[in-house]
Amino acid sequence: MDNLFVQVGIRPIPAPQVKKQKWGRGKPLASIAVLTLILLSCLFCDFFIPKDPTYMDLYHANVAPNSEFWFGTDTMGRDIFSMIFYGGRISLFIGFFATLISTAIAIIFGAISGLAPKWLDEVLMRFTEILLSIPNLLLIIFVQAILGKANVLSISLVIGITGWTSIAKVVRTEVRQIRSAEYVVASRCMGAGFFHILWKHLIPNFVSSIMFMVVMNIRGAIGAESTLSFMGIGLPLEVISWGSMLSLSEKVLLSGSWWLILIPGAFLVVTLLCVTNIGNYLRKCGNRKVSNL
Amino acid sequence: MSEILLDVKGLTHYFRLSKTAVIKAVDDVSFQIHKGEIFGLVGESGSGKSTVARCVMNVHKPASGSIYYQGIDTCDPAQFRKNRKLLQTSRQFIFQDSTSSLNQRMRVADIIAEPMAIHHVKPQRGSLREEAAFQLHYVGLDSSYLDKYPSELSGGMRQRVTIARALSMEPELLVADEPIASLDVSIQAQIINLFAHCNREHGCSILFIAHDLAVVKYLCHRVGVMFQGKLVEVATTKELFENPLHPYTKSLLAAIPIPNPRLERARVWHPFDPGLFDRNGKMVEVSQGHFVLKGETV
Repeated sequence: MDNLFVQVGIRPIPAPQVKKQKWGRGKPLASIAVLTLILLSCLFCDFFIPKDPTYMDLYHANVAPNSEFWFGTDTMGRDIFSMIFYGGRISLFIGFFATLISTAIAIIFGAISGLAPKWLDEVLMRFTEILLSIPNLLLIIFVQAILGKANVLSISLVIGITGWTSIAKVVRTEVRQIRSAEYVVASRCMGAGFFHILWKHLIPNFVSSIMFMVVMNIRGAIGAESTLSFMGIGLPLEVISWGSMLSLSEKVLLSGSWWLILIPGAFLVVTLLCVTNIGNYLRKCGNRKVSNL
Repeated sequence: MSEILLDVKGLTHYFRLSKTAVIKAVDDVSFQIHKGEIFGLVGESGSGKSTVARCVMNVHKPASGSIYYQGIDTCDPAQFRKNRKLLQTSRQFIFQDSTSSLNQRMRVADIIAEPMAIHHVKPQRGSLREEAAFQLHYVGLDSSYLDKYPSELSGGMRQRVTIARALSMEPELLVADEPIASLDVSIQAQIINLFAHCNREHGCSILFIAHDLAVVKYLCHRVGVMFQGKLVEVATTKELFENPLHPYTKSLLAAIPIPNPRLERARVWHPFDPGLFDRNGKMVEVSQGHFVLKGETV
């Protein structure tokens, strides 16, 4: 019995020939390029914007696009070209920050609900359904009213803490499926805590199914901020964002100053299109099967 | 007799299927595992072997009965919490299905080092990766597998990775739930030799669950036979295979094929009639260390 422990050796297996695909094939290159361009120019707008975006040049109020004011000026004489990039910072910040908040809440809430015993799961899910049944905009207005005067942080917080419900439901369903997998049981036997299991086992396995929703959430947050500003309950007028620029344009709807609506609107739509496109690509990637089992 | 490591007393576990239907998966099972011993648990599918293993590892909470590990009652939440670290590091579990017991999104190196990462164990060999490479060598794979995902490995390799993960904590009790059931025969031999080696060199006790009697006969020191959630016979391997007393054990042992076609064909078949099985029997010690379930009918 002594020499029975024999290592049967390791058979060298030749690495399979993987045909290299051309880089960028099937990737949404145009969307990535445009989005990067917009992001970079918003970040570094201080270096190239020709005018102070907050300066009101009352001699040149409501001017159509020309060689000096490339995108024209608004009713208070501010240069729209400068405002676009300056305001884009705030809009994009709100978009990403609100998404970060709502995704974090959704993942933790969904994972707790998915791992919890049946009665707690039931309670948590009914709670999310109640939230889900209230129109999102109404909820945002409520929470904003509680928080008081809006600023950039508070508005992203408000949008963040109202927009997690549908992601949480998806997370919870996925976790319910994964939690009885033997690797989770094994990890628990080894003494893993909630956050270890969440981080190492659950998130990598469900991230692909919420990826699309998360990216859509960025879009939703930017859109929600614009809507709020347009309705006059979002950021105050002096804070420049794409939304507040659009809210100004409500006053010129009938005056024929098309650039006030069209240009911020176009930037918003293009950004959202790019984000949607990338999100769609990520969803497709996630659906591809990772294993051959 | 050496010290008792694991003492299972009157373990009972039910699965509730609906409001009325209840399955008695494990019914009043008692046995002991001594230090440095390989205890085999055999029985047909659905006889409750895996449930025993899972109760021992605190995956299921037993309906009644108690499990003492080194004198700690693991079913008692207060005692479990108090000795959490000891219980979670010195007992390790190997699952039957290596495919689902490995996370497909983790690399082999991370999988093997996972228990150490959880318990913040200071690796003896420098880094967690070195440690994983060492364990991988120990189970007979080279370190080129460290960066592979489980789906890139064959079934035998995967099972060896699960064993390496369990061994990385240098456990005192290894609960192996049919570790070889899904493997082909040549790999079964490697894995069994690996278990024998661990037991011999490191003195780790093993609760080995199998339905292959030849393997159990080769590997285990003592064997328990389960039938319909009851433990019907416990004895040393030699005693059990030479002198089976319970009719179910007899028919189970008679089912081992004889590697001689002439004898195999001439064999008389002894099927065990489940109708005769008396669930309310009591364990009786027939001779030193040989227990049999004695009921009214059998």
